[in-house]
Amino acid sequence: MPDSRDDFIIAIRYALLKKGAKQKFSLFFLISLSIAVVTLDKLSVPFVQTTRAVLNDFVYKVSVVASSPGKFASYVNQEKKKHFNVVKKNKILKEEIEILNSKRYNALFLKTENEYLKKNLSLSDDITYENQFSVIARVILDQTSPYLKSLIINKGKKDDIIKGMSVFSNKYLIGTIVESNYLSARVLLITDLNSKIPVMIQDSDVNGILAGSGSKTDLNLEYLPDQFILEPNKIIYTSGKDGYLKTGLPVAETYLSKDNLLKIRSLADPQQASIIHVTKGQF
Amino acid sequence: MYILSKIKKKIFNNLSVILFYTLSFSTFEGLKGFTDLFIFSFNLQMIIVYFYVLKFPEYLGVGHIFLGGIINDVVIGTPLGTSSLTYLVLSFFTSYIRNATLRSKMSIEWITFIPALFFSNFVYYIIINNFSHLSFYYIELLQNSFFTFLFFPIFYFILNYYQSIISKNNA
Repeated sequence: MPDSRDDFIIAIRYALLKKGAKQKFSLFFLISLSIAVVTLDKLSVPFVQTTRAVLNDFVYKVSVVASSPGKFASYVNQEKKKHFNVVKKNKILKEEIEILNSKRYNALFLKTENEYLKKNLSLSDDITYENQFSVIARVILDQTSPYLKSLIINKGKKDDIIKGMSVFSNKYLIGTIVESNYLSARVLLITDLNSKIPVMIQDSDVNGILAGSGSKTDLNLEYLPDQFILEPNKIIYTSGKDGYLKTGLPVAETYLSKDNLLKIRSLADPQQASIIHVTKGQF
Repeated sequence: MYILSKIKKKIFNNLSVILFYTLSFSTFEGLKGFTDLFIFSFNLQMIIVYFYVLKFPEYLGVGHIFLGGIINDVVIGTPLGTSSLTYLVLSFFTSYIRNATLRSKMSIEWITFIPALFFSNFVYYIIINNFSHLSFYYIELLQNSFFTFLFFPIFYFILNYYQSIISKNNA
């Protein structure tokens, strides 16, 4: 036990007092000096304060130079970060541009389609076009029975109205001419049970037959694919497969009823129609 | 040409001292400068002091350690002599370990770095608390010490490799 204690003391003494080959000071001396410096600094002795002020000036000047590689590394790191942020942002912006472009093209397409539809519905501001392609008629009789929905208009064969013509109220299709007399004609409304219009649904390539049910707020879509799930707020357009109606005429829309059932309603209100447009010839 | 190669050799041989002073002047705190790697801050000066006092005391004298510590204090604004005393306490422990150890082994030297770090940081803590009005984050000091310990083997191999090159050149 005493031997190990002696070894310990010898090792400590050796560590503290032994000077290396090139060393001018012992560890003990420098530790003592450090303690003295700390104490003097704490006591704020004027001599130490002056020394420190001089030392500070010198060290700060050298420190500016010495810390420049570190600052440079930090700067490079920050710049690298900025660069990657810019790259990332650029990528996001590019994606956004692509989306916006796609939307723009879509909007252009819709605009074109809209103009086209307006023209076809004879709702264009262009009077010449309307006069050229449609006949304005007045509803003289409104047949209202639970399942028979038809209108009698004051134009007939005299005004070149023939069977199969499309009838529009405001902007929307309300029915087709099923009977043409010399001075009058009968319009079968889309809400009628016998009305069958080939249609397609917005945002899909699904075709079906829009059938009336007697109510303008509860039309039926028939012959839909088995797996197809109809969504609310979708516009139903004519598909033009019957050869009479032009493709893309908005007819009805899907909606959620108060009792949360998905239903289809006519865009136009045929029962309220008083002035209608009958298109001449086939679309 | 001869003088130039001699200067080159001198610089290369004293790279440890130059590095130590540079670190003292530049307030290097490991990876603290990199905001993402803030947590990995470590004290390279302590690693250098420990390594050189332990393995090659002739390449980094205690006088340099003292002076480097004083410079470090001026730069970071701690009471003059704090870092010097911290490094010298570390040197003292390292010297003791060197004298007490018969066979040098990296794993043992790595483990003995823990008490050396502990005592030197303890001295630092005492001086800061009693000789200044400064306050610091204890957790930060602990993290710094932990990563100083953790990164020791990396620098151990780097510095060992560098010293082996010096030995070859001087042979």
